Amino acid sequence: MSNIRKTIVSNCEKSFLLKNLAEYNRLDGRAFDEFRKVEIEFGCDWGCCFVSLGKTKVVAQVSCEIQQPKSSRPGEGILNLNIELNPIAAPHFEADRQSNEQVQLNRLLEKCLKDSKAVDLESLCIKNNEKVWAIRVDINVLNHEGNILDCASIAALAALAHFRRPDVTCDGEEFVIHSIKQRDPIPMVIHHYPVCITYSVFSSGLYILADPTLLEENVADAFLSIGLNAYKELCGLHLGGKADLSPDVIIQTANKAAARASSIVQQIKDAIEQDNETRKEQKDGFCRLAEKKDSADLVEELSVYLDQWSTKKKKNKKKSKQPKEEQMEQDEIKEPDITAEIKPLGEGTAVLVPSENEGGDAIKVWDTSESEDDAVEFVELPKPKVETVDIADTDSEEEAVIVLNADQKTKKKKKRLT
Amino acid sequence: MPLKVGDFVLPGELIEDIKSIKGLTIVGPGLRQNEEKPNILCVTQPGTLRFKAPNMYWIEGKRKRYIPKKGDLVVGIVVKKSGDTLKVDIGAAEFASLSMLAFEGATKKQKPDVQVGDCVYAKLLNAHREMEPELVCIDSYYKAGKLGILPNQGFLLTISLNLTQSLLDIENPLLRSIGKKIPYEMALGVNGKVWINCKKSKEVIYLMKIFDVAERELHKDAVTVCND
Repeated sequence: MSNIRKTIVSNCEKSFLLKNLAEYNRLDGRAFDEFRKVEIEFGCDWGCCFVSLGKTKVVAQVSCEIQQPKSSRPGEGILNLNIELNPIAAPHFEADRQSNEQVQLNRLLEKCLKDSKAVDLESLCIKNNEKVWAIRVDINVLNHEGNILDCASIAALAALAHFRRPDVTCDGEEFVIHSIKQRDPIPMVIHHYPVCITYSVFSSGLYILADPTLLEENVADAFLSIGLNAYKELCGLHLGGKADLSPDVIIQTANKAAARASSIVQQIKDAIEQDNETRKEQKDGFCRLAEKKDSADLVEELSVYLDQWSTKKKKNKKKSKQPKEEQMEQDEIKEPDITAEIKPLGEGTAVLVPSENEGGDAIKVWDTSESEDDAVEFVELPKPKVETVDIADTDSEEEAVIVLNADQKTKKKKKRLT
Repeated sequence: MPLKVGDFVLPGELIEDIKSIKGLTIVGPGLRQNEEKPNILCVTQPGTLRFKAPNMYWIEGKRKRYIPKKGDLVVGIVVKKSGDTLKVDIGAAEFASLSMLAFEGATKKQKPDVQVGDCVYAKLLNAHREMEPELVCIDSYYKAGKLGILPNQGFLLTISLNLTQSLLDIENPLLRSIGKKIPYEMALGVNGKVWINCKKSKEVIYLMKIFDVAERELHKDAVTVCND
């Protein structure tokens, strides 16, 4: 079986990116030290967190169980971080096999969250040398569009901060784990909030890009990942790849990263607070995620593009109508089924007459293609739509076109019925 | 509940009462005949169910992975050079092979200058399920036409397979209305890889944004953006 190998970056992409960097442009229009938008959402369970960084998406889930502590640290709980790179994120990732990338990401996350002692492990001890809580953070990458590390570190931290473990009481000999319904679960004790912030380094430190995309990551000479908390304390520094950076550059980038870290930490805290409020209203889970999205931000984005175009405007305003017509016709051709019928009615202009005819043709074809057995069912379907047209007609009489349309419709209907 | 044409379907759903002419039904991508009950089609991909009179069924989904088909024009990246053959990544499960002699005017002594990482615009000579797909950069008259190695300027971007199909539609106003705004060069591969080039790199970035908008099935919006 052939496994899918990583796609290599073509020369033209590489040279185009570098050419743009020389002009201080990034391909997605961001500034060099600008980050993509971070969104944090929480799921139904405690410690379930979804984070998206641009198009990179990550889900983290925290779980806990009771274990015997390590003999070297009998009074401390255990924290495990585990990042999974599935083929769902990118085709070249393999399931159930530790790749180098996965090991590296895991270690960097451990360095940032575990080695900096962000989570208070002593509070996870139930009985010294016998029973402690083992906390496990599973991070699943859903989509890989560059900079998994930042996204995963935000997700892991937010999930840990959101997580609550069940309460345990001890009456002399026996330990009782209370279910969440019996007693309020206990949140984790987190001393400080460290996050990873990654930069891509091009031409040995000449260009340093914050939050690299997949292409930038692949083309870059090296990456510099800085672990920082909100108090400007360094929790990890890693330079992967080859680039000779001067100490000044590193300190400069670290300073920039510090500002970013505090804003991210604030965002995590806000998100948790907001989640607590919605939880009181019994409206939890990813439902909020499903509700919003789509229309609003798309329109927003479009208007941004429009702004960019507006400088070159004015030229072919007159011509603009023609392609629209074509577009209409194309719509008709694309979907020669019943739904196509309703579109021209909604718009209701003179443009519709030719497209209307086409729609009619399509329907005729449809009718002839119908086999005998269930023809009744399909004839019945368009009926209510035609009736709604009639109603609309009586409501707004001033538009002659609509009346015309309606007439045609009724003719067609008769035709169909005969 | 019986499935209707135009419905969104998921893998595993069954389509009953299929239409056929003399017992013949044409089954397109995303559908499979059920072995036990030959009159029922089984859905294997998520997407919308389409039907073309009199007897053709297929599924239109948002696919990203390309499945090679004979005669397709594709854009690929040269991944490996070994002897007389090149290995080209066309986004399929396997790399395609392209002979160095399959370029216009190439002989054993005079081979084209191809580097690893170059983009080529080529035609699929054959594509079998069990075999490595094979590319050529000449037609049956040994002429290159538009095929061949693409210049190292410009940008290669990846779009969904649906969008490439709709861009290839002659009725589609998008490419024409972009052309009114910006003169550009383009090699559109049906494998979802598109090579574009303009005079200025800023214009290439504009084009990328337009395709990004068009990608989200906002074709109309993309056209209006171009026309404004």
